[in-house]
Amino acid sequence: MTTTQEHTPSISETAARMLESGEREFVLDVKTSDLEVNMGPQHPATHGVMRILCRADGELCTGAQPHLGYLHRCAEKIGENVEWLQYLPYTDRYDYLAAMNNNLSYSLAVEKLMGIEIPRRAQMIRTICAELNRIGSHLIAFGTYGLDIGAITPFLYMFREREWMMALFEKICGARLTYSYIRIGGVFNDAPPGWLSEVERFCDTFDEKWQEYVDLLMMNHIFVKRTANIGVIPKEMAIDFGLTGPMLRGSGIDWDLRRDQPYELYDEIWADGAFEIPLGSGAKGTLGDCWDRVYVRVMEMHESIKIVRWCLDNIEPGPVIADIPKTLKIPPGEGYVGIENPRGELGHYVVSDGGKVPVRVRVRAPSFVNLAVLEALMPGTLIADAIAIIGSTDIVVGETDR
Amino acid sequence: MTAVANYVKNIVDTVKTTLVGMRITGKYLLQKPITVQYPDERLPIPNRYRGIHYLEQEKCINCLACARACPIDCIEMDAIRHGKELEWVSFTLDYQKCMFCELCVYPCPKDCIHMGTEFAFTSYDRSEFVHDLLSYQGMSREAKARMIEAEKKKKAKEEAKAAKKAAEAAKKKAESEAKGEDAPDAGTDGGEG
Amino acid sequence: MSLPLHLAALAAPRSATNQINDFLTGVKPDFVPDWALPLTTALISVGIAVAIISLVAMSGTWLERKVSGHIQCRYGPMRVGWHGWLQPIADGVKLLLKEDMIPLGADKPLYLLAPALVLASILGAMAVFPLAPDFYFADIDLGIFTILALTSTTTIGVVMAGWSSNSKWSLYGAMREAAQVVAYEIPLGISLLVPVMVAGSFNLLEVSNGQAGGFGVLNWYIWPWVNPFMGPAFLLFFIAILAETKRAPFDLPEAESELVAGFMTEYSGIRWSFFFMEEYAAMFLYCVVGSFFFFGGFESPLTSLARATDVHLLVQVAAAVTIIAKGYAGLFLMMWLRWTLPRVRIDQVMTLGYKYLTPLALACVLGASVWEVFLAPVLPWR
Repeated sequence: MTTTQEHTPSISETAARMLESGEREFVLDVKTSDLEVNMGPQHPATHGVMRILCRADGELCTGAQPHLGYLHRCAEKIGENVEWLQYLPYTDRYDYLAAMNNNLSYSLAVEKLMGIEIPRRAQMIRTICAELNRIGSHLIAFGTYGLDIGAITPFLYMFREREWMMALFEKICGARLTYSYIRIGGVFNDAPPGWLSEVERFCDTFDEKWQEYVDLLMMNHIFVKRTANIGVIPKEMAIDFGLTGPMLRGSGIDWDLRRDQPYELYDEIWADGAFEIPLGSGAKGTLGDCWDRVYVRVMEMHESIKIVRWCLDNIEPGPVIADIPKTLKIPPGEGYVGIENPRGELGHYVVSDGGKVPVRVRVRAPSFVNLAVLEALMPGTLIADAIAIIGSTDIVVGETDR
Repeated sequence: MTAVANYVKNIVDTVKTTLVGMRITGKYLLQKPITVQYPDERLPIPNRYRGIHYLEQEKCINCLACARACPIDCIEMDAIRHGKELEWVSFTLDYQKCMFCELCVYPCPKDCIHMGTEFAFTSYDRSEFVHDLLSYQGMSREAKARMIEAEKKKKAKEEAKAAKKAAEAAKKKAESEAKGEDAPDAGTDGGEG
Repeated sequence: MSLPLHLAALAAPRSATNQINDFLTGVKPDFVPDWALPLTTALISVGIAVAIISLVAMSGTWLERKVSGHIQCRYGPMRVGWHGWLQPIADGVKLLLKEDMIPLGADKPLYLLAPALVLASILGAMAVFPLAPDFYFADIDLGIFTILALTSTTTIGVVMAGWSSNSKWSLYGAMREAAQVVAYEIPLGISLLVPVMVAGSFNLLEVSNGQAGGFGVLNWYIWPWVNPFMGPAFLLFFIAILAETKRAPFDLPEAESELVAGFMTEYSGIRWSFFFMEEYAAMFLYCVVGSFFFFGGFESPLTSLARATDVHLLVQVAAAVTIIAKGYAGLFLMMWLRWTLPRVRIDQVMTLGYKYLTPLALACVLGASVWEVFLAPVLPWR
C-alpha cells in the first residue's frame, strides 16, 4: 500500500467537467433554472462588505461575479491632497490587518525618492514589526478560514495570540490596529525598555501554540477533506492572473519579494539562512488547492518567527530615525517599491514634483488583484466550496476598494 | 485494493484527528479563561497609548504646529495675545474626525500636546465629540499674576526710567542753572535730555 | 399502611398519567364534573412535558454557552446571576418582547405553523420518555419506534420553514435538512437494532431493566463482554444523532458561514426560539435514548444503592437523577465535539451517511446477531 492517496473525482469536479462539456442537462435529464444568490454585502463569509453574485443550480455554483466598491474611500485621491507625512495614517486603513506593512511600503517608496539612508536599528525594528504583523494577519486569515469551514474555536485561539501581538504594538506605538508607526526615515519611537524581551517571550509561546493550530485545524481530516482538491489554481493560471503572495506560492511558484526584490534587511537575513520560503506541494490533494494556500500561510507564520528571532539576536542600540526635516520636500521624480505584504505584493507608486504634497500616490493592492481569480475558480463548485475558495483568497475589502 | 485502503484510512484519520482536536479543546476547557470581565477589571494601558488628547495649557504658545500637522484638520485653536501671555478662547479637537495618528504630537515645539490613556466615549449627540482641551479659559491665575508682575515691572521700569530721566533732567537743570549765569538760555532745552 | 388516595397514587408503580388521574380523583371537589378529570390530566401531563422541554432547552443553551466559552478561553455569560445561570430567562424575556417579523413574500400560514410543528414533534416524543421506572406518560411496547418516528417529523417543520420563508438561504437550509435526515435515519435505526437485539425489546423500560445488576455498571450493553459490536454501534448511533439534531459537524441546514442561518434566516423572536428549543430538546432526547440503549438507562451504582434501601420513592429519584445525568453527559459530549470540529460538506454528509455509516451499521447488526445466536448462550456471564 502506498502512502499517496488515490484521487477520486469529487462531485464538484465531476460537475465542473459536466458544465464544460455541456453534459449537465443531459445527465440530470431535468431542466432546472439557475438560482441567483446574492452573497453579500451582508453575509457572514464575505470578509467585509463585498458582494458576490452567485449563480447556482441547487447546491452547484455555476458562476460567480464579485462586485466591489462598498468600501471605497478615495484613499489615492486623498494622497494628492495631503502632505507626504500626513498620508501615512491613510495607508493604515487599506489593509487594516497588516498596517505595519502598508506603512513600510509607503515609507520605502518615499525614501527611495529622497535617497536617504535609514539607521540600522530602525530597519531592525521595522522588520520585527512587519513580521509580527504578518503573523497577526495570517492568524486572522487562518482563523477566519476555519470559521468559514465551520470551526469556531481555533479562531478564538488565534485571536488570543493576535491580541498579544496587538498588545506588543500598543506598547511600542500606542495603537492596536492603525499603527502609523513606521514613518518616512525610520520609525516614530524607539522600542520601550523590555519590549524586545517581551517579543522574544511571544516567539517562544507562539511556537507552542502554532503546533496546536496545526494539530487542531490544519491536519483535521474534515478540514483536509473540505479544502483539498478545491479551487485548484495551476501554475500557469496563477501567473496569468498576476497573483502574488501565498496565493502564488500555494501554486508552487517560488517567488517572494523578501528574497527576490529585497528591501530592508531581508537580503542579509536570507543570506544568513534564517528563513525559508514555504511553497504549496499538493501534499493533501492537488497542487494549488485551498489547502496548499492555507498551509503556506501557516508555514509563513513559523518562518516569520524565525526572522523576528534573527532580528532580536542582531539588534544593536542606535538612532531610530534618519535626519529629515520636519516639513518634507521630496525631490522631483517617481518611485515604486513593492513589498511582501501578508496578502502579496503591496506596492506604492509615488510621484513628486518637488513640493510638499505628492502629485500621485498609486497603490498596487494584492487583495484587489487576487480577487480577480474568484470568477474563474467558482464555476462548478458547490456553494460550500465557494465559501472555502473565497476564504482561501484571504482578501481584505478595505484594500480592494481603498 | 487502494479504494478499500482509502476507505479504512478515511475512517482512521477522521477518528484520530478528531480525538487530537478534542484533546486540545478539552485541555483549554479545564484551564482558566484568559479574558477579563471588562468594566470590573481592566488590563493595564501602556504609557504610549494613543487615546484622547490632553494639553499642557501652561506651556502652549498657540503656534498652530499641531493643527498644521493634522491630516484631517481636526484641531482648531484660538487665543488672544497679551504681550507674552495668552488669553485662551478655545482649543478644540473634533473626535468625529480624529484618527488618533499622533502626528500632532511630534511637531510641537513646547512638547505640550499629548495623547492620554482615556479611550471610551459615547454620546447621544455628535456635538459632544468636539472636545475642548482647555482646562481653563481666559488667562490662568499664574499668567495673570505674571502679567501683572510684568506690567508692574514694566511700570516700575518706566517709573525708574522716568525718575532717572527726571533726575537727569534735574541734574542738567542744576548744572545749567549752575552754569546759568554763563548761559541764561540753557533752561529752555532742559526737556531734550 | 394506609395512605390517603392522592399520596398512594404517587407511590404506586403505574404510569404518570394514571397517577395524576388518581391524584386528581383524590382531591377533586364535588362540584367539578367527572368529564373534567381526563382533560385536566391531559393538560397537566402536557404541562409537565412542556416544562421539561423548556428546562432542558434553557439549561442546554446556558451549558452550551459556558462550555463553548471555557473551551475558547473565555467565560461565557457572567452577568445575570451566578456565572450567568439566569441568562436563559433573560434571553427568553428578550425573545418574547422582540418584534415578530414575517417577511412580505412569505407563505404566512406555513410560516407561522412551522415552528409549532417542529416543537410539537419533540413534545410528542416526550410522551414515551420515562422519567423514572414508575413515572412515564405512556408505556408503549414500540417505545423507541415512536420516538424515532415522532422526532423525524421535525423535518417537515424545517422544510416548511425553509420553503415558506421566501428566502433562498432558507430554501437551501431546508433542502439540506431533508436530504440529511433521510440519509441518517437509516444508520440511526439500524445501529439501534444492535441493543434492541440484545435486549429483545423496543420498550425503553424493558431495555433498562435488562441492564440491571452488576453493581449497576457491569451489565451495561456498551461493554464488549456483553456484545463486542455494541461499541461500534454506539459510535455510529452517536454520529447519526449528531446529524439528526443538526449539530456540528453536521450543522449544514444552519451553516452560518454558508447559508447565513439556513432555514431560520427569516425567523425572529419567540418563533426563532422554538427552533432553538427543539434543537436542544432533541439533543437531550437522543442522548437519553442512547443512554437507555447503551449505557444502562436507569441503572447506575446510585440506583443500585437506592434499590438496596428498598424505599420506593428513593429508587425513583435515584433513577431519575441517573438518567438526567447521563443525558447531560451526552449533551456535553455533543457540545465538546461541536466546538472542536469544522463542518462537513453536503456531498460528504451524504457519502458518510450512505457509504460509511449504513454499511458499517449493517455489519454491526450482522456481527451482533451472530454473537447473540451462537456465542451469547454459551457465555457464563450472560
